[in-house]
Amino acid sequence: MSRTRPPFLDGLIASLPIVLGYFPIAFSFGVAATRSGFTAPEAAALSLIIFAGASQFLALALLTSGAPVLVSAFTLIAMNLRHVLYGPALMREAGREAGTRHAWAWAFGLTDEVFGQALGALARGQRFSEPYMFGLGLGAYASWVSGTLAGAVAGGGALDGWPALGAGLGFMLPALFLALLLSILSRRQLPVIAVAGAVTVVATLAISATSGILLGMLAGALAGLVRR
Amino acid sequence: MNTDLLVVAVLAGVANWAFRALPILARTDRLAAGGWLERFFSATGPAAIATLFVAAILPELVPDPARLVPALTGTLAVLATFRLRRSVVLSTLAGAVIHGATVWLLG
Repeated sequence: MSRTRPPFLDGLIASLPIVLGYFPIAFSFGVAATRSGFTAPEAAALSLIIFAGASQFLALALLTSGAPVLVSAFTLIAMNLRHVLYGPALMREAGREAGTRHAWAWAFGLTDEVFGQALGALARGQRFSEPYMFGLGLGAYASWVSGTLAGAVAGGGALDGWPALGAGLGFMLPALFLALLLSILSRRQLPVIAVAGAVTVVATLAISATSGILLGMLAGALAGLVRR
Repeated sequence: MNTDLLVVAVLAGVANWAFRALPILARTDRLAAGGWLERFFSATGPAAIATLFVAAILPELVPDPARLVPALTGTLAVLATFRLRRSVVLSTLAGAVIHGATVWLLG
Protein backbone atom coordinates (compact mmCIF):
# COMPACT_ATOMS: atom_id res chain seq x y z
CA MET A 1 0.00 0.00 0.00
CA SER A 2 1.31 3.47 -0.82
CA ARG A 3 2.37 5.54 2.17
CA THR A 4 1.51 8.81 0.50
CA ARG A 5 -2.09 8.00 -0.42
CA PRO A 6 -4.91 7.48 2.06
CA PRO A 7 -6.06 3.83 2.10
CA PHE A 8 -9.58 4.84 1.00
CA LEU A 9 -8.14 6.32 -2.20
CA ASP A 10 -5.95 3.26 -2.66
CA GLY A 11 -9.07 1.10 -2.48
CA LEU A 12 -10.88 3.30 -4.94
CA ILE A 13 -7.97 3.07 -7.40
CA ALA A 14 -7.74 -0.70 -6.89
CA SER A 15 -11.42 -0.93 -7.83
CA LEU A 16 -10.65 0.32 -11.38
CA PRO A 17 -10.63 -3.09 -13.11
CA ILE A 18 -13.83 -3.98 -11.26
CA VAL A 19 -15.40 -0.66 -12.26
CA LEU A 20 -14.50 -1.33 -15.91
CA GLY A 21 -15.76 -4.90 -15.66
CA TYR A 22 -18.99 -4.09 -13.85
CA PHE A 23 -20.21 -1.17 -15.93
CA PRO A 24 -20.96 -3.11 -19.15
CA ILE A 25 -22.54 -6.00 -17.25
CA ALA A 26 -24.68 -3.61 -15.20
CA PHE A 27 -25.49 -1.80 -18.44
CA SER A 28 -26.75 -5.01 -20.00
CA PHE A 29 -28.72 -5.70 -16.81
CA GLY A 30 -30.38 -2.27 -17.12
CA VAL A 31 -31.24 -3.04 -20.75
CA ALA A 32 -32.63 -6.47 -19.82
CA ALA A 33 -34.71 -4.98 -16.99
CA THR A 34 -36.41 -2.43 -19.24
CA ARG A 35 -36.96 -5.12 -21.88
CA SER A 36 -38.69 -7.18 -19.17
CA GLY A 37 -41.07 -4.29 -18.58
CA PHE A 38 -39.50 -2.69 -15.51
CA THR A 39 -38.84 1.04 -15.21
CA ALA A 40 -35.39 2.61 -14.84
CA PRO A 41 -35.96 3.35 -11.09
CA GLU A 42 -37.04 -0.29 -10.56
CA ALA A 43 -33.92 -1.58 -12.34
CA ALA A 44 -31.75 0.77 -10.26
CA ALA A 45 -33.53 -0.34 -7.06
CA LEU A 46 -32.59 -3.98 -7.76
CA SER A 47 -28.93 -3.00 -8.19
CA LEU A 48 -28.96 -0.68 -5.16
CA ILE A 49 -30.59 -3.19 -2.81
CA ILE A 50 -29.31 -6.59 -4.03
CA PHE A 51 -25.88 -5.73 -5.54
CA ALA A 52 -25.21 -9.25 -6.84
CA GLY A 53 -25.01 -9.62 -10.61
CA ALA A 54 -26.09 -13.09 -11.58
CA SER A 55 -28.90 -13.22 -9.05
CA GLN A 56 -30.31 -9.95 -10.36
CA PHE A 57 -30.62 -11.39 -13.88
CA LEU A 58 -32.34 -14.37 -12.30
CA ALA A 59 -34.63 -12.00 -10.37
CA LEU A 60 -35.84 -10.55 -13.68
CA ALA A 61 -36.60 -14.01 -15.03
CA LEU A 62 -38.43 -15.04 -11.85
CA LEU A 63 -40.43 -11.84 -11.49
CA THR A 64 -41.56 -11.82 -15.13
CA SER A 65 -42.42 -15.53 -15.08
CA GLY A 66 -44.87 -14.90 -12.25
CA ALA A 67 -43.05 -17.07 -9.69
CA PRO A 68 -44.34 -16.54 -6.12
CA VAL A 69 -42.51 -13.75 -4.29
CA LEU A 70 -41.15 -15.97 -1.50
CA VAL A 71 -39.98 -18.65 -3.94
CA SER A 72 -38.19 -15.99 -5.99
CA ALA A 73 -36.55 -14.48 -2.93
CA PHE A 74 -35.48 -17.90 -1.60
CA THR A 75 -33.94 -18.83 -4.96
CA LEU A 76 -31.89 -15.63 -5.02
CA ILE A 77 -30.80 -16.14 -1.41
CA ALA A 78 -29.67 -19.72 -2.12
CA MET A 79 -27.71 -18.48 -5.12
CA ASN A 80 -25.67 -16.09 -2.97
CA LEU A 81 -24.97 -18.51 -0.14
CA ARG A 82 -21.32 -18.76 -1.24
CA HIS A 83 -20.72 -15.25 0.11
CA VAL A 84 -20.85 -16.69 3.66
CA LEU A 85 -17.32 -18.01 3.12
CA TYR A 86 -15.77 -14.77 1.84
CA GLY A 87 -15.66 -12.78 5.10
CA PRO A 88 -13.89 -15.45 7.16
CA ALA A 89 -11.48 -16.27 4.30
CA LEU A 90 -10.59 -12.59 3.94
CA MET A 91 -10.22 -11.96 7.67
CA ARG A 92 -8.05 -15.02 8.04
CA GLU A 93 -5.59 -13.49 5.58
CA ALA A 94 -5.99 -10.06 7.21
CA GLY A 95 -4.77 -11.41 10.55
CA ARG A 96 -6.17 -11.60 14.06
CA GLU A 97 -5.57 -7.91 14.82
CA ALA A 98 -7.41 -6.60 11.74
CA GLY A 99 -10.21 -4.19 12.64
CA THR A 100 -13.82 -5.03 11.85
CA ARG A 101 -15.56 -2.12 13.58
CA HIS A 102 -17.10 -0.83 10.38
CA ALA A 103 -17.54 -4.20 8.68
CA TRP A 104 -21.33 -3.88 9.01
CA ALA A 105 -21.08 -1.18 6.32
CA TRP A 106 -18.19 -2.15 4.00
CA ALA A 107 -19.00 -5.87 3.99
CA PHE A 108 -22.15 -5.20 1.94
CA GLY A 109 -19.76 -4.50 -0.95
CA LEU A 110 -17.98 -7.85 -0.61
CA THR A 111 -18.92 -9.24 -4.02
CA ASP A 112 -16.97 -11.98 -5.82
CA GLU A 113 -14.69 -9.49 -7.51
CA VAL A 114 -14.19 -7.21 -4.48
CA PHE A 115 -13.33 -10.28 -2.40
CA GLY A 116 -10.87 -11.46 -5.05
CA GLN A 117 -9.20 -8.07 -5.38
CA ALA A 118 -8.91 -7.62 -1.58
CA LEU A 119 -7.50 -11.12 -1.14
CA GLY A 120 -5.01 -10.50 -3.97
CA ALA A 121 -3.84 -7.27 -2.30
CA LEU A 122 -3.28 -9.10 1.02
CA ALA A 123 -1.42 -11.89 -0.79
CA ARG A 124 0.90 -9.25 -2.29
CA GLY A 125 1.77 -8.11 1.23
CA GLN A 126 -0.60 -5.17 1.64
CA ARG A 127 -1.84 -4.49 5.16
CA PHE A 128 -5.59 -4.87 5.78
CA SER A 129 -7.46 -1.61 6.22
CA GLU A 130 -11.16 -0.86 6.56
CA PRO A 131 -10.96 2.45 4.61
CA TYR A 132 -9.32 0.49 1.75
CA MET A 133 -12.26 -1.93 1.80
CA PHE A 134 -14.68 1.03 1.73
CA GLY A 135 -12.89 2.51 -1.31
CA LEU A 136 -12.79 -0.82 -3.13
CA GLY A 137 -16.45 -1.59 -2.44
CA LEU A 138 -17.68 1.92 -3.17
CA GLY A 139 -16.01 2.03 -6.60
CA ALA A 140 -17.58 -1.29 -7.51
CA TYR A 141 -21.01 -0.30 -6.13
CA ALA A 142 -21.05 3.08 -7.90
CA SER A 143 -20.12 1.43 -11.19
CA TRP A 144 -22.78 -1.25 -10.77
CA VAL A 145 -25.60 1.16 -9.96
CA SER A 146 -24.65 3.81 -12.55
CA GLY A 147 -24.18 1.12 -15.23
CA THR A 148 -27.65 -0.22 -14.48
CA LEU A 149 -29.19 3.24 -14.73
CA ALA A 150 -27.33 4.00 -17.97
CA GLY A 151 -28.50 0.70 -19.49
CA ALA A 152 -32.10 1.21 -18.36
CA VAL A 153 -32.18 4.73 -19.79
CA ALA A 154 -30.38 3.83 -23.05
CA GLY A 155 -32.63 0.83 -23.65
CA GLY A 156 -31.96 -2.13 -25.97
CA GLY A 157 -29.54 -2.06 -28.86
CA ALA A 158 -27.16 0.54 -27.41
CA LEU A 159 -24.05 -1.59 -28.03
CA ASP A 160 -25.38 -3.44 -31.10
CA GLY A 161 -23.41 -1.24 -33.50
CA TRP A 162 -20.14 -1.94 -31.65
CA PRO A 163 -19.83 -5.75 -31.35
CA ALA A 164 -16.04 -5.73 -30.78
CA LEU A 165 -16.36 -3.16 -27.99
CA GLY A 166 -19.21 -5.11 -26.40
CA ALA A 167 -17.21 -8.35 -26.63
CA GLY A 168 -14.07 -6.79 -25.14
CA LEU A 169 -16.03 -5.30 -22.26
CA GLY A 170 -17.76 -8.64 -21.75
CA PHE A 171 -14.37 -10.34 -21.40
CA MET A 172 -13.34 -7.95 -18.63
CA LEU A 173 -14.61 -10.18 -15.80
CA PRO A 174 -13.07 -13.50 -16.95
CA ALA A 175 -9.82 -11.56 -17.52
CA LEU A 176 -10.05 -10.06 -14.03
CA PHE A 177 -10.66 -13.45 -12.39
CA LEU A 178 -7.70 -14.96 -14.23
CA ALA A 179 -5.42 -12.06 -13.26
CA LEU A 180 -6.56 -12.35 -9.63
CA LEU A 181 -5.95 -16.10 -9.73
CA LEU A 182 -2.41 -15.50 -11.03
CA SER A 183 -1.80 -12.91 -8.31
CA ILE A 184 -2.57 -15.36 -5.49
CA LEU A 185 -1.14 -18.44 -7.18
CA SER A 186 1.23 -20.53 -5.09
CA ARG A 187 2.46 -24.12 -5.33
CA ARG A 188 0.70 -24.87 -2.03
CA GLN A 189 -2.69 -23.87 -3.44
CA LEU A 190 -2.39 -25.68 -6.79
CA PRO A 191 -4.36 -28.80 -5.71
CA VAL A 192 -7.13 -26.54 -4.33
CA ILE A 193 -7.32 -24.62 -7.61
CA ALA A 194 -7.25 -27.79 -9.74
CA VAL A 195 -10.02 -29.48 -7.74
CA ALA A 196 -12.17 -26.32 -7.70
CA GLY A 197 -11.78 -25.89 -11.47
CA ALA A 198 -12.49 -29.53 -12.32
CA VAL A 199 -15.56 -29.78 -10.09
CA THR A 200 -16.92 -26.50 -11.49
CA VAL A 201 -16.71 -27.87 -15.04
CA VAL A 202 -18.33 -31.21 -14.18
CA ALA A 203 -21.10 -29.74 -11.98
CA THR A 204 -21.88 -26.96 -14.47
CA LEU A 205 -22.23 -29.45 -17.33
CA ALA A 206 -24.10 -32.04 -15.25
CA ILE A 207 -26.39 -29.80 -13.16
CA SER A 208 -26.33 -26.01 -13.64
CA ALA A 209 -24.04 -22.98 -13.63
CA THR A 210 -25.09 -21.99 -10.09
CA SER A 211 -24.43 -25.50 -8.76
CA GLY A 212 -21.10 -25.49 -10.58
CA ILE A 213 -19.97 -22.36 -8.73
CA LEU A 214 -21.18 -23.52 -5.32
CA LEU A 215 -19.88 -27.10 -5.60
CA GLY A 216 -16.59 -26.04 -7.20
CA MET A 217 -15.91 -23.63 -4.36
CA LEU A 218 -16.83 -26.16 -1.68
CA ALA A 219 -14.80 -28.97 -3.28
CA GLY A 220 -11.74 -26.70 -3.57
CA ALA A 221 -12.02 -25.56 0.03
CA LEU A 222 -12.42 -29.20 1.16
CA ALA A 223 -9.34 -30.13 -0.87
CA GLY A 224 -7.49 -27.64 1.34
CA LEU A 225 -8.35 -29.88 4.30
CA VAL A 226 -7.17 -33.12 2.71
CA ARG A 227 -3.69 -31.97 1.81
CA ARG A 228 -2.19 -31.83 5.32
CA MET B 1 -42.80 0.89 -8.08
CA ASN B 2 -43.65 -2.82 -8.43
CA THR B 3 -44.30 -4.15 -4.89
CA ASP B 4 -43.31 -7.76 -5.69
CA LEU B 5 -40.00 -6.52 -7.06
CA LEU B 6 -39.34 -4.46 -3.94
CA VAL B 7 -40.15 -7.34 -1.58
CA VAL B 8 -37.88 -9.75 -3.49
CA ALA B 9 -35.12 -7.14 -3.67
CA VAL B 10 -35.27 -6.34 0.05
CA LEU B 11 -35.33 -10.02 1.13
CA ALA B 12 -32.43 -10.91 -1.19
CA GLY B 13 -30.55 -7.73 -0.24
CA VAL B 14 -30.87 -8.32 3.50
CA ALA B 15 -29.73 -11.94 3.06
CA ASN B 16 -26.77 -10.76 0.96
CA TRP B 17 -25.75 -8.30 3.65
CA ALA B 18 -26.08 -10.99 6.32
CA PHE B 19 -24.01 -13.50 4.30
CA ARG B 20 -21.28 -10.94 3.66
CA ALA B 21 -21.15 -9.07 7.00
CA LEU B 22 -22.23 -11.35 9.85
CA PRO B 23 -19.40 -13.92 9.57
CA ILE B 24 -16.92 -11.00 9.72
CA LEU B 25 -18.63 -9.31 12.67
CA ALA B 26 -18.69 -12.65 14.52
CA ARG B 27 -14.97 -13.13 13.62
CA THR B 28 -15.65 -16.75 12.75
CA ASP B 29 -12.07 -16.92 11.49
CA ARG B 30 -10.80 -16.37 15.07
CA LEU B 31 -13.08 -19.10 16.40
CA ALA B 32 -11.59 -21.34 13.74
CA ALA B 33 -7.95 -20.49 14.47
CA GLY B 34 -5.60 -23.46 14.30
CA GLY B 35 -8.23 -26.02 13.45
CA TRP B 36 -9.57 -27.68 10.34
CA LEU B 37 -11.94 -24.74 9.81
CA GLU B 38 -8.96 -22.42 9.45
CA ARG B 39 -7.50 -24.61 6.70
CA PHE B 40 -10.94 -24.64 5.07
CA PHE B 41 -11.16 -20.82 5.10
CA SER B 42 -7.58 -20.49 3.88
CA ALA B 43 -8.38 -22.65 0.84
CA THR B 44 -11.70 -20.88 0.20
CA GLY B 45 -10.14 -17.83 -1.46
CA PRO B 46 -8.14 -19.62 -4.16
CA ALA B 47 -11.00 -22.11 -4.63
CA ALA B 48 -13.53 -19.28 -5.08
CA ILE B 49 -11.41 -17.33 -7.58
CA ALA B 50 -10.57 -20.47 -9.58
CA THR B 51 -14.26 -21.41 -9.65
CA LEU B 52 -15.35 -17.95 -10.79
CA PHE B 53 -12.76 -17.90 -13.59
CA VAL B 54 -13.80 -21.34 -14.84
CA ALA B 55 -17.50 -20.41 -14.62
CA ALA B 56 -16.86 -17.18 -16.55
CA ILE B 57 -14.73 -18.73 -19.33
CA LEU B 58 -16.69 -21.99 -19.72
CA PRO B 59 -19.55 -20.56 -21.86
CA GLU B 60 -16.93 -19.30 -24.37
CA LEU B 61 -15.33 -22.72 -24.85
CA VAL B 62 -17.63 -23.85 -27.67
CA PRO B 63 -16.67 -25.19 -31.11
CA ASP B 64 -17.43 -21.79 -32.67
CA PRO B 65 -14.19 -19.99 -33.70
CA ALA B 66 -15.92 -16.59 -33.42
CA ARG B 67 -16.20 -17.15 -29.64
CA LEU B 68 -13.40 -19.64 -28.94
CA VAL B 69 -10.53 -17.77 -30.65
CA PRO B 70 -11.12 -14.41 -28.86
CA ALA B 71 -11.42 -16.28 -25.53
CA LEU B 72 -8.06 -17.96 -26.17
CA THR B 73 -6.24 -14.80 -27.32
CA GLY B 74 -7.73 -12.83 -24.42
CA THR B 75 -6.62 -15.50 -21.94
CA LEU B 76 -3.12 -15.61 -23.44
CA ALA B 77 -2.93 -11.81 -23.26
CA VAL B 78 -3.75 -11.92 -19.52
CA LEU B 79 -1.13 -14.63 -18.91
CA ALA B 80 1.58 -12.84 -20.92
CA THR B 81 0.92 -9.41 -19.40
CA PHE B 82 0.86 -10.79 -15.88
CA ARG B 83 4.16 -12.59 -16.49
CA LEU B 84 5.76 -9.39 -17.76
CA ARG B 85 4.26 -6.78 -15.43
CA ARG B 86 2.75 -8.62 -12.42
CA SER B 87 -0.17 -6.18 -12.47
CA VAL B 88 -3.81 -7.24 -12.07
CA VAL B 89 -5.09 -4.00 -13.64
CA LEU B 90 -2.83 -4.11 -16.72
CA SER B 91 -3.42 -7.84 -17.28
CA THR B 92 -7.19 -7.39 -17.10
CA LEU B 93 -7.17 -4.47 -19.52
CA ALA B 94 -4.81 -6.29 -21.92
CA GLY B 95 -7.08 -9.34 -21.91
CA ALA B 96 -10.16 -7.25 -22.69
CA VAL B 97 -8.43 -5.22 -25.41
CA ILE B 98 -6.97 -8.28 -27.17
CA HIS B 99 -10.32 -10.10 -26.88
CA GLY B 100 -12.16 -7.14 -28.43
CA ALA B 101 -9.50 -6.72 -31.13
CA THR B 102 -9.72 -10.40 -32.04
CA VAL B 103 -13.51 -10.16 -32.37
CA TRP B 104 -13.03 -7.10 -34.58
CA LEU B 105 -10.41 -8.88 -36.77
CA LEU B 106 -12.56 -12.01 -37.12
CA GLY B 107 -15.72 -10.01 -37.76
